[in-house]
Amino acid sequence: MTVLTKARPARPRAAAPTGAAARRRRRATPYLLLAPGALVLLLVVGYPLVRLVLISFQDYGLRTLFTGTAEWTGLDNYAKVLGSDEIVPMLLRTAALCVAMAGGTLAIGTAVALLMRALGPRMRTAVTLVLITAWAVPNVAATMLWTWLFQPTYGVVNWMLTRLRVFGDFGQYDWTAHTWSSLVLVWLLVVWQSVPFVALTLYAGLTQIPADYYEAAALDGAGAWRRFRVVTVPFLRSILLLVTVLSVVWDFNVFNQIWLLTHGGPDGATSTLVVWSFTRAFASQSYGQGAAIAVLATGLLMALTWYYVRRLVRTGEEL
Amino acid sequence: MKRSRPARIALNAAAAAFCAVWIFPVYWMVNSAFKPAGDMLTATPRFLPFPLTLGNFAGAVGKPHFPAYLANSLIVTGVVVAVAIAVAFLAAVALTRFTFPGRRGFLIGVLAVQMIPGPALLIPLFLSLKSLDLLDTLLGLIVTYTAFVLPLTIWVMRGFLHGVPKELEEAAMVDGAGQLTVMRTILLPLVTPGIIAASVFSFIVAWNDYLYAYVMMKDQSRYTLPVWLASFSTNLGTDYGGLIAGSTLFALPVVAFFMIIQRRLVAGMTAGAVKG
Repeated sequence: MTVLTKARPARPRAAAPTGAAARRRRRATPYLLLAPGALVLLLVVGYPLVRLVLISFQDYGLRTLFTGTAEWTGLDNYAKVLGSDEIVPMLLRTAALCVAMAGGTLAIGTAVALLMRALGPRMRTAVTLVLITAWAVPNVAATMLWTWLFQPTYGVVNWMLTRLRVFGDFGQYDWTAHTWSSLVLVWLLVVWQSVPFVALTLYAGLTQIPADYYEAAALDGAGAWRRFRVVTVPFLRSILLLVTVLSVVWDFNVFNQIWLLTHGGPDGATSTLVVWSFTRAFASQSYGQGAAIAVLATGLLMALTWYYVRRLVRTGEEL
Repeated sequence: MKRSRPARIALNAAAAAFCAVWIFPVYWMVNSAFKPAGDMLTATPRFLPFPLTLGNFAGAVGKPHFPAYLANSLIVTGVVVAVAIAVAFLAAVALTRFTFPGRRGFLIGVLAVQMIPGPALLIPLFLSLKSLDLLDTLLGLIVTYTAFVLPLTIWVMRGFLHGVPKELEEAAMVDGAGQLTVMRTILLPLVTPGIIAASVFSFIVAWNDYLYAYVMMKDQSRYTLPVWLASFSTNLGTDYGGLIAGSTLFALPVVAFFMIIQRRLVAGMTAGAVKG
């Protein structure tokens, strides 16, 4: 920079835009810079979202794929979906599984974060490395690994459970053949993969709390539980809200783990709204109904996270 | 807060127990991957992989089409990362260096997009790509993934650009440098850490996705690695040695990446969901 200044000492502002044309160009610059990103998002997220809603009002099936024309059927798809025998158990299962997975993740994640703070540096590093390793294993690889860990006959988990002599002989136990064990299988996998993010994020938040606060609380005679409630929880409120919402969103949308472990079975026992939308559309070739389910699922998720989204938009003042 | 000796022992024991449980699946994956075929299916599992063998890896890599799957995954991931970073950088410059009508709306839009469940877009995207004849093409996957990673990459880059003082560019402008020169020679080098963080996140989305690739790639030679892994089990049974070795190979680059950027990991992940 100094070199440049020496080279042109006489006209330091020579390149600054002047005149109406240059001003217009300058005003257009941010839009030009934004254009590629906005275009991709509009085409690949915005347009499909609109189309999803449109399809949900159409009789979009196998025939449509070939003829290219779909008939408008009003609320037919919604009526079929909401009137089906599956809808109530499906909603309950989706909600219960989501709550169980998010709740388990948050409980274990919080416990691990608190544990990490209490540990010495070496043990803490060990926990961090373990968390990062588990976090990094790709979804599909972890799911395939699960099929091997819980494989009937040769799965190491079955072998260990049998050796415990508490639950009886698990040697030939097929986890995916029974309702509850399938749910447990999916739950274990999702929680195993989700705890690292929650634990590391909460731990990062914990390290920001000044030690004085705890000392002051201790001087006032507050016990460990009270210190946790009075100092830790209020300090972590926004981070807790964030990880809770993200956990709910992610666990609501779990697909790979369920699909690859159980295909939603046995007999639909592990199917959630997301899996149902997928099978309606791609197995039954009823894209209209699949879209209706997806719209319902999106609406439900939006309703669940409404409070958080509103807060985000409000902080938008400072964007 | 000093802790008594028994309390410290209890804490360390709890931490050790947690580590043992949480690392066990990964340990078992690596252990199984290196086991000779005869040691995989034993009534009593073998807890150490000796004698070591690379047979499972050779078997996985030697499956038909493996080089094609690897190439598909590498091409898709590479292009997505490069395009997403370039597009996100330009957008982030606009968002941090200019004030213009629509700026706040765009930012809120970017935030809102992240709340849309990914699987919900599957049906319309599948039908649109089908009518455009883009199913079974890498281009279709690349465009899809790019759009999915853009909100987060824009957000992360914006955070990093915020940290670069405006005075630096103004000085350069005063010295006669054009806007493009400023972007290239001043902003770009300073946001390199942001570019690395954003690249890793884009890499992971593109590398790990199963659902979209599974639906859009019907032609077997077009599979990406996750779809290939999931197709290991057939009606005739599953080659667990090959499957687990393949999973290990597939997971390895991601684990390495996570280890390298571990310090930025949490900051980057939360940056997409909270402001600044």
